[in-house]
Amino acid sequence: MPDLTLDELDRDGAIRETLEEVSGDTRAAFLGKAAVGGAALLGALAAPGRADAAAASDVAILNYALTLEYLQSSFYTEAERLGAIKGKLARIPRQLGSVERAHVSAIKGALGRAAVKRPAFDFKGVTENQTKFLKTAVAFEDLGAAAYKGQAARIKSPALLAAAISIHSVEARHAAWMRFLAGATPAATAFDEGKSIPQVRSIVASTHFIAAHPKKRARRKPKYTG
Amino acid sequence: MPLRRQRARGVEGRDDRPARWPETVPARDEDEAVWSREQFVARAVVAGGALAAGGVLVAGLPRLAASAPSAAQDAKILNFALLLEYIEAAFYSEAVAKGKLTGDLLDYATTVRDHERAHVAFLKKALGGSARKKPKLEFGDKTSDPKKFTAAAIALEETVIAAYNGQAANLTKPTLAQAATIVSVEARHAAWIRALSGKDPAPTATDKPKTASEVQADVNRTGFVRST
Repeated sequence: MPDLTLDELDRDGAIRETLEEVSGDTRAAFLGKAAVGGAALLGALAAPGRADAAAASDVAILNYALTLEYLQSSFYTEAERLGAIKGKLARIPRQLGSVERAHVSAIKGALGRAAVKRPAFDFKGVTENQTKFLKTAVAFEDLGAAAYKGQAARIKSPALLAAAISIHSVEARHAAWMRFLAGATPAATAFDEGKSIPQVRSIVASTHFIAAHPKKRARRKPKYTG
Repeated sequence: MPLRRQRARGVEGRDDRPARWPETVPARDEDEAVWSREQFVARAVVAGGALAAGGVLVAGLPRLAASAPSAAQDAKILNFALLLEYIEAAFYSEAVAKGKLTGDLLDYATTVRDHERAHVAFLKKALGGSARKKPKLEFGDKTSDPKKFTAAAIALEETVIAAYNGQAANLTKPTLAQAATIVSVEARHAAWIRALSGKDPAPTATDKPKTASEVQADVNRTGFVRST
């Protein structure tokens, strides 16, 4: 059985785009099917009806994780589309974007209609500046790992915990990788401490990447497909 | 599509939503399940006292049933983790001591050695009298030949990540909170050594967990453990 690989999961966001064309429960069911096989963990997240049975606190934690995954995936996706990240970082927007989009899809699938919407982001040019891009990637990935860790012991469902913890260590790999590329030590301490929701919220708020208002700079109105 | 328009629309331009966090996110963290490392050690020593240390080493790893989390089960799992940390700590210690590694690899081995020693110390303290003894280990030329060292380090780190991830749901919440502070460091090690060897540091979207018996098979395959 093939392992869970990037290409299987979300080549160029194709799965995500397909999912956006189908609605509600169908989406969750589709993702559930798509994830069967090697992708058992994300599949478990995406099992239809899971969110209905989940504790309210688990739904809240999943929505919190979803918001962070939105932040990460939008960041890498924007960087990939702008195409300004080059050299040793050239593959990062595409590869990490693909993984973070897969996390978004899986969590959205798990939540079904309970999923929060993607906020509007304004990355203020960091997605097209090598140095700022890398610094932000380090910060996002360290934050992602700390955020999942902070919630691990609060998740009630064993299946959701297994999925979340298996995403958590991937965020830590990303953090180490980005630190390696930045010339920083990939593993600075023997124990990684988690961060609470208020700590994470305050860090994210300090970036101002979540836009106060949707972008209005477009000359044409954006197309609403949903 | 012209660059300017892409930028103006943003990646998710169609998502016309005001900035806010999900309303469902709790305002405050309930951290009753998360103890400090010191509190954890103090409690786990008591809890672990009831458990006898494992018998014959690799062949005799306790069967870690997916039964409801309990202090006794935590102790079994932590002893299982301790075996893995013993192997890692000894592996890196020997690699640094042999002096055949240089440059980035030596930096990696030295840093990671210290982390694995800290993990051993933490688990031993948490387990108290029920902590298993360090096994007799043999690494051959895997701690001297840089290429073999790298391959063995990757295999070890990957096994340990899968082992911790596989036990997450079997642990009580306070123990899970502590284990989670270790597993992400192991994941960082894996990504680091993979980057050094030109391998993809994070090849999958999730880290597949392994059961205790799968991990046991991995450990047996290395041939590193020679006796209890």
